[in-house]
Amino acid sequence: MRRLTVSATKPAPELAVLREPLREIAGEQILAGLTAALSWLEANQQEINDLNVFPVPDGDTGSNMYLTLRSAVEEARDAPAPSAADSVLAAAAHGSLMGARGNSGVILSQILRGFAQGAAQCTNLDARGVALAITEASAVAYRAVMKPTEGTILTVVRDAAAAAAAAAETTDDIRVVLERVVTEAHAAVERTTDQLQVLRDANVVDAGGFGLAVILEGFARAIGDTHPATPAPALLRRSGEPALRLPPNPGDLEATGSAVPRRGAAAVAPREQGWGYCTEFLLNGPGLDVDAIRTELAALGESALVVGDPELVRVHIHTGDPAGLIAAASSRGRMSKLKVEDMSAQHHDVLERADAREAHAEAEGTAPPEQPHAPPKAIGIASVAPGEGFREIMGSLGADSIVSGGQTMNPSIEDLLNGVRAVNAEHVILLPNNGNVILTAEQVDPLAEDCEVRVVPTRNLPQGISALLAFDPASSLDENAARMLAAIATVHAVEVTHAVRDTSVNGHDIKTGDVLAVVDDEIAEVGNDYLGVIDAVLNAQSAKPELVTVYRGDEVNAGDADTLVATLREKHPGTEFELQLGGQEHYPYVLSLE
Amino acid sequence: MIHLVTDSTSDIALADAEALGVHVVPLIVRFGEEQYRDGVDIDADQFYTKLEQTTVHPTTSQPSPDVFATLYRTLLADPADQVVGLHISAKLSGTLQSATLAAQDFDQSRIHLVDTESVSGGLQLLVRAALDDIKAGDSAEVVAEKATLRRSKVTILVLLDNLIYLHRGGRIGRAQAFVGGLLNVKPLIAVRDGEVVPVARPRSRSKGIELIVEQVRSCAPLRGLAEFHAAAAESMTDLETRIGAAVSNVTAVLGRIGPVVGAYSGPGGLGVACLGAD
Repeated sequence: MRRLTVSATKPAPELAVLREPLREIAGEQILAGLTAALSWLEANQQEINDLNVFPVPDGDTGSNMYLTLRSAVEEARDAPAPSAADSVLAAAAHGSLMGARGNSGVILSQILRGFAQGAAQCTNLDARGVALAITEASAVAYRAVMKPTEGTILTVVRDAAAAAAAAAETTDDIRVVLERVVTEAHAAVERTTDQLQVLRDANVVDAGGFGLAVILEGFARAIGDTHPATPAPALLRRSGEPALRLPPNPGDLEATGSAVPRRGAAAVAPREQGWGYCTEFLLNGPGLDVDAIRTELAALGESALVVGDPELVRVHIHTGDPAGLIAAASSRGRMSKLKVEDMSAQHHDVLERADAREAHAEAEGTAPPEQPHAPPKAIGIASVAPGEGFREIMGSLGADSIVSGGQTMNPSIEDLLNGVRAVNAEHVILLPNNGNVILTAEQVDPLAEDCEVRVVPTRNLPQGISALLAFDPASSLDENAARMLAAIATVHAVEVTHAVRDTSVNGHDIKTGDVLAVVDDEIAEVGNDYLGVIDAVLNAQSAKPELVTVYRGDEVNAGDADTLVATLREKHPGTEFELQLGGQEHYPYVLSLE
Repeated sequence: MIHLVTDSTSDIALADAEALGVHVVPLIVRFGEEQYRDGVDIDADQFYTKLEQTTVHPTTSQPSPDVFATLYRTLLADPADQVVGLHISAKLSGTLQSATLAAQDFDQSRIHLVDTESVSGGLQLLVRAALDDIKAGDSAEVVAEKATLRRSKVTILVLLDNLIYLHRGGRIGRAQAFVGGLLNVKPLIAVRDGEVVPVARPRSRSKGIELIVEQVRSCAPLRGLAEFHAAAAESMTDLETRIGAAVSNVTAVLGRIGPVVGAYSGPGGLGVACLGAD
């Protein structure tokens, strides 16, 4: 069994001694640190992805963390006060929150938020300030997770914070503090293998924890080193074979090999009434009334994002009348960094880059048309779905807005927020329909200013469909949430895919390419063909299901699916089978058993 | 004497009506040019057989005021007699409208018409309860008043095979929300305040029956219970067994969903009506 070892190259301590101690850092250094951290994370992204324990195509930790941090750095670059540590960190925290995707991304965003909180009111950070900020980062991250688990990114940030606090007691040199932080973070990453059973079984370290260590390392190198951290030599050495990440089918390499989740525009289906103009600018104070500006500008468009303080307000809004918006805004303050983009053109660009089949489905307008000017309804639903088929089914069952995403492309908080806004309701039920999207979805409510958002924690698509079927527009939010929870408890989900790596899980010896049936998040059957594993799953049910709905993925043709379902009907008399086009990627079949 | 009049959407069997002394005014069901008086020219079996064989969608219409006028004239021949008319929800049919028109030619104090906001088994349970009131010696006015109060205690649930008939027939009401779903569901609807409302979208008939049984249980204590089916005898047996196991102390009225109501439920419909205790 291969053991993945992580060994950070420790900066030679004498170097630090030779240099002048670094007693303070300001906004510029923090931005440089974050930028370096992003580069370093990008360089290690694949390695982090390969640490995913579950051998199924899913939202990759490395990609999710990278996209989250990228959003943080982008916003930090536009920080209102670039020299002030607190300003840069607050911007980074906000950026990471909007860009957060996947569980690891959400926790990373909470770490950045805590770090920014710990540095609040500090234009410069000293060694103690850095230690305090990391400590706060750890505390906030722990609070964000309902059941904190040891052996994860949480353990790593906590141990790193402890190291920072201890170091700050003995030195005022920030370099030394950060060196200790990085050393301890990597040591904590090493320890994760023994802290979590799944990691021990697969003999790997925790991917999220490793990602955080990489970020801290990149940050520390930029602060401590005059040399940029980016094109570094192989800092991390692993023994054993290089991690394999083969796609399910040869020739499908691009689709699976680097499954970078789709961001923003590509993840939101187009609307019949067109997109208007994405208008962005900064309003400079002093004395800006943020709430009044938000109220005034939000009325002129949709998806309004108006954030800031009396000194500086950042506006992002989609409007059909950018000129009117600009006129209204410029009476409120001095405008800068104005950017107006035609979103229909922009969206087409994005779609062209996106998967062609999917682009086609989206251009057909499969999402329910949006009526931005209609009065909000009392209660509506936003649902996450991959694939044209699931989008259509969910729309037909009453979902008001569909956010593209799922297994391999986890939507960001901002994607979900936009989906919730598109519902145009006072209360919005948000269905994540994926275990790795639930935590992201839970971050949306505080950000959605005009509506109450309730997440019904659907872990897979069959649960999402059951929840939608249980919806009663005449009932209250609480009643509907209760109905949906009851409904999802009665359905079992079977997700059929191919193993993307060799591993051993739950006593199954799995080879790359094997057909896997994941039943309610657990690998239940391993085999060579779809029919075999599905048949085995059905035979293993203690109560014979009355109804099995088979959703075929985009790579399965209709004829093959018909044949499979016909065979299942013969083998399982007394069970009703229904075949639908799901259109999901990487999962040839998804089934619901009821 | 007080004469009780209802219409054929009460789905009361002719033999029962005769035995109970209830006058049933038939609505009309049409297949294109052919037209039949509900329960008189066509019974449930003939109707569902015809439905299977034809591509023409059946339509229905209310009885003409004449039919009511003729009946009222007969029933009110004795100046001491009075009429209480319990009819299908005015939101679902113009039957009550015809009755009201006909009643205008008579002494208003002798004909008491009630919009039961109900249909089928629900209407029938109200008719049966009103007969009890008459038997107990209530005046026509009081019988009508009690029926009006009682209508809020009626629950009607119908499990459908699909929404096609309800939709085509224009009686879908708020169950419109269930139309267009790409998955096969067995829509469970209710008649509430005289209108069709959506209740749930179970994916199987068995789940649907489970939901019905739950609802029936929550209506207890029951004064009356009716179970009806539209060419769904097998499911009906299942329903009877499961309701029988869930509620006791009440004898269910069993029957068929007749042609006019069947034109909206479609074959496969399975209905339950409960009347809560006064």
